Amino acid sequence: METIENKILEKIKSTFRVDGVVQRERRIWITIESERLVKICQWLKSEGFVHLSAISVTDWPEEDCYEITYHLWSYNEKILLTVKTKIDRDNPLIDSVVPIWSNNAQIHERELHELFGVKFHGNPDLSQLFLEDWEGPPPFRKDFDWREYLQKEVFDPKNLREQGYYDKTK
Amino acid sequence: MIKQNNTIENLFTSTPDIDGYDFYFGPTHPGSGNFGVKLKLHGERIESAKADPGYLHRGFEKLMEYRIPIQNSMLSDRLCVLEPLGWNLVHAEAVDELMGNDVPERAKYIRVIMAELSRIQSHIIWYGVFSIATGFDTGFKIAFGYRDYVLDLFEMITGGRVYPAGYICPGGVRRDLPEGTEEKILKVLDKINEMIDFEEKGNPVLEARTKGIGILKLEDAIRLGATGPVLRASGMRSDVRIEEPYEVYDRFDFDIPVRLEGDAYARYYLGIDEMIESIKIIKQALKQLPGGDYITPSLKKIKLAKKLPEGEVYVRNEVARGEAAIYMVSNGTEKPYRTKVRGPDFLHMIPVLEFLLKGAHIADIPAIYWSLNVCPADMDR
Repeated sequence: METIENKILEKIKSTFRVDGVVQRERRIWITIESERLVKICQWLKSEGFVHLSAISVTDWPEEDCYEITYHLWSYNEKILLTVKTKIDRDNPLIDSVVPIWSNNAQIHERELHELFGVKFHGNPDLSQLFLEDWEGPPPFRKDFDWREYLQKEVFDPKNLREQGYYDKTK
Repeated sequence: MIKQNNTIENLFTSTPDIDGYDFYFGPTHPGSGNFGVKLKLHGERIESAKADPGYLHRGFEKLMEYRIPIQNSMLSDRLCVLEPLGWNLVHAEAVDELMGNDVPERAKYIRVIMAELSRIQSHIIWYGVFSIATGFDTGFKIAFGYRDYVLDLFEMITGGRVYPAGYICPGGVRRDLPEGTEEKILKVLDKINEMIDFEEKGNPVLEARTKGIGILKLEDAIRLGATGPVLRASGMRSDVRIEEPYEVYDRFDFDIPVRLEGDAYARYYLGIDEMIESIKIIKQALKQLPGGDYITPSLKKIKLAKKLPEGEVYVRNEVARGEAAIYMVSNGTEKPYRTKVRGPDFLHMIPVLEFLLKGAHIADIPAIYWSLNVCPADMDR
């Protein structure tokens, strides 16, 4: 069927060799390698995807990777396109898209740097955003157990009020 | 260093020997609401502004990974204090799409009615806090008085005045509208019309303090990621309800108000126009309201959590503040593997606010800040 979503996906596929799928009306998902991210995003913005709706990170410890997703909206075509890319979990480094979406991307990347520890190469300010004075590991990683962390670092088992947070059977 | 020649004439002619100073706006609750801005001032001009968020960070995205969708639907209330039902709807839609739930017609209409009532009461709060911030106390008191009529409706329908405890849940809504609701909603809408008449009369203090203040041009608005009323007040006809109709929004006849000025006054006035449109939608929805189930029958009595099918969805909605979205990933267990919440105020309160405050006058801070219809809860999450 010749829908606008299929047309756009064909155009992307003919310009760059990428995997892509039309999920439903107004939703396109493409998967790319992280090295080509900036180049493809630049092209997508010139094609009308001017609004960066969100950037997100999904942690997959079994596959040893972070999946970074960029959700782009086109005001002209009324289509949401998601760009997915995978990076190494032990050395999470990816090029920043600040040159393309400016302050909008900057603040999303700053948040994700704090919560997942992803380093965005080229972002001018990756200082702490929500978690001032936080010294622990990035808290949104799947292997971060907040109960364990609080028991070890914050609570005191001798404190009458905080005793309740410890499992007494152990 | 104090200069020695501080004669009376010099005091009035020479400029003070200082390079500027730091100034903190917030984070006390009555002023800015769990959110602070660190400003660098020179005289009364703001040289640079840096947002200082994090006073309301509760880590919802992480909390949702530990809970099943029906529990998360209660958590989603707290995503934004001022319009819980709007966020209920985004979460419910994300789970519905992931599970492939077939939502009954009646539930869709009830969802739209509740979401629009929620938008109206949120815009009334907006008017209230905006008035008190610009020195018009009466507006604040009148607004909160009228908001209570909508809260009475919420109490009758959902059981909670402010937090509906996940009334809009995956599969539909939690319970049917009680008897006589339709007449009561129409009566409340009449009351809201009184409120709109009062707002439309205008107020010289409010106008003097907001016209031409905090101008956001369209290209800056797009660049900084503004959505919703902030973007529409800068001249862009963009609304998720029109661009990507969810639920039954494509069946109603309503307008998207747009203004071209892009200043604080335009943003504030847009709120009034949007309330009028919301009233139109609710009236049409009440007329078309069909009978039938209010929730998918298979989800009516949930004893055990169902497994979420593997997959990922990105759901966008229009809440009172702009584009709200949830990105949900599932790996086939009962709990969502990852939930990303995209709040409109994350961009309005950090990049847009920092941009607008730069170069502004110190006395205009409240007018600029509240004209963005801010809610720190959905920014910090």
